[in-house]
Amino acid sequence: MVLTIIYRLIIALVIALVGWNLFTEKKFTAQLTAAMVLIPLVLRALMIK
Amino acid sequence: MSIELITFIVMLGTFLLGCFLCKLPIGISMVLASVAGALIGGQGVPVVHLVEGMFAYVDTILVIATAMIFMRVIQESGTLDAICATIVERFHKVPALMLIMIMVIIMFPGMITGSSTAAVLSAGSIMAPVLMMMGVPILETAVILSLGGMLGMIAPPTNLPAMIMCGGVDIPYSGFTLPLILLTFPLAFAFVLVLGLKHVKKMNYAEVRAKLNTEVRKKYGFKIYIPLILVVVLMVLNTAVPAIPDMGMPLVFLICSGVGCFTGRKFNILKVSKNAIQSVLPVMGILMGVGMFIQVMTLTGVRGLIVTSCLSLPSWARYIALSTSIPLFGSVSAFGSASVLGVPFVLSFLAKNEIIVVSALSLIASLGDMMPPTAMAGIFAAQVVGMKDYKQIMKKCLLPCLIILVWGVIFILAANFLEPFIVFH
Repeated sequence: MVLTIIYRLIIALVIALVGWNLFTEKKFTAQLTAAMVLIPLVLRALMIK
Repeated sequence: MSIELITFIVMLGTFLLGCFLCKLPIGISMVLASVAGALIGGQGVPVVHLVEGMFAYVDTILVIATAMIFMRVIQESGTLDAICATIVERFHKVPALMLIMIMVIIMFPGMITGSSTAAVLSAGSIMAPVLMMMGVPILETAVILSLGGMLGMIAPPTNLPAMIMCGGVDIPYSGFTLPLILLTFPLAFAFVLVLGLKHVKKMNYAEVRAKLNTEVRKKYGFKIYIPLILVVVLMVLNTAVPAIPDMGMPLVFLICSGVGCFTGRKFNILKVSKNAIQSVLPVMGILMGVGMFIQVMTLTGVRGLIVTSCLSLPSWARYIALSTSIPLFGSVSAFGSASVLGVPFVLSFLAKNEIIVVSALSLIASLGDMMPPTAMAGIFAAQVVGMKDYKQIMKKCLLPCLIILVWGVIFILAANFLEPFIVFH
């Protein structure tokens, strides 16, 4: 249970860092890659999947 | 021609067009190839399956992201500088041992993250100037980085292609340490000695010493090494004391990154973490793309076609098929190759010890990282040493890659003979 919470926090941290990159990247393809990486991370953080 | 084969050709064609003609990132090209494959296979645009495919590598992505943060932390805090200086100072009188230590350092990030890119970009970028300072030519330096990255990603404890294959055939990733050590370290040491020893023997130590960064070690003393020692301790803790629960590699890396903030030079952890994620985003994107690619291959029956083709091959032909198809499919992705081709080959060698077979196949799959157009190890090594074209690196790597291939096949052939000596559960 504790580990689940810790891992959700770790995922939240990675989401924040990927999100930060999404908004600071200048190349559209790099932004697209960041957005793609965010999808499963957000779903996992919300425990939807 | 069956619809599965047509679908596979369309997927590969779309991927190559995306990479070469449109110059799209590999991950995006794979997404497009997956959509094209699904359309040809009569599945429309299967959003559910595409998202499902992404989840195949979520855990791997977490390991890569946190490991890269850890690598950047020990880079910024000065731990890597300190290790580099210590090695050159302690071992300059024994150049062969020094080269071996340098090779281990180049491999280390790959061993921890399971990514050759991480090895080449982090420790590789620190060791490249050291190697060149010691007289190793630029081309040989790039080749050492590429091979170190490739072998580092296969060396234990983290071997993603082996983990992918284990997941595919439902065996635990346990007992792989010794087979993977025997598969990677002898080759790595032989390659670095053949490529570098004759140049390093002529090294001017006084000149090299002047360029080393010894200040960090003098200023912070032993505590500069604490993050590295802690990462090793936390990784083996669960094995040594089973009563302590396995906390998982992402948490281990984050704890050690936190500790690393206080053991050396001061730096902005947020910026360092952001840059770390930025450098691994393309790799994370590739893994997402590979997940979708394989999911669509499974959905449309392409994977089944490949599996049945592999299983129906005669015994001798399997060796030829794995020696050619696994490295060639690596042009899409070494991880994809492990999943799409590695798994059926493991199934076709079920009469042999599966741990040795998976280990050897993962070594062969690592050759994919030198296969154009992705050729991640070669491309990044060229970038690190400042070469514009990686073709020369590829040419120079041809013989070592052939040796890696033969070494892997020998292990598969001798798997049952080797089992009592190298596999311990």
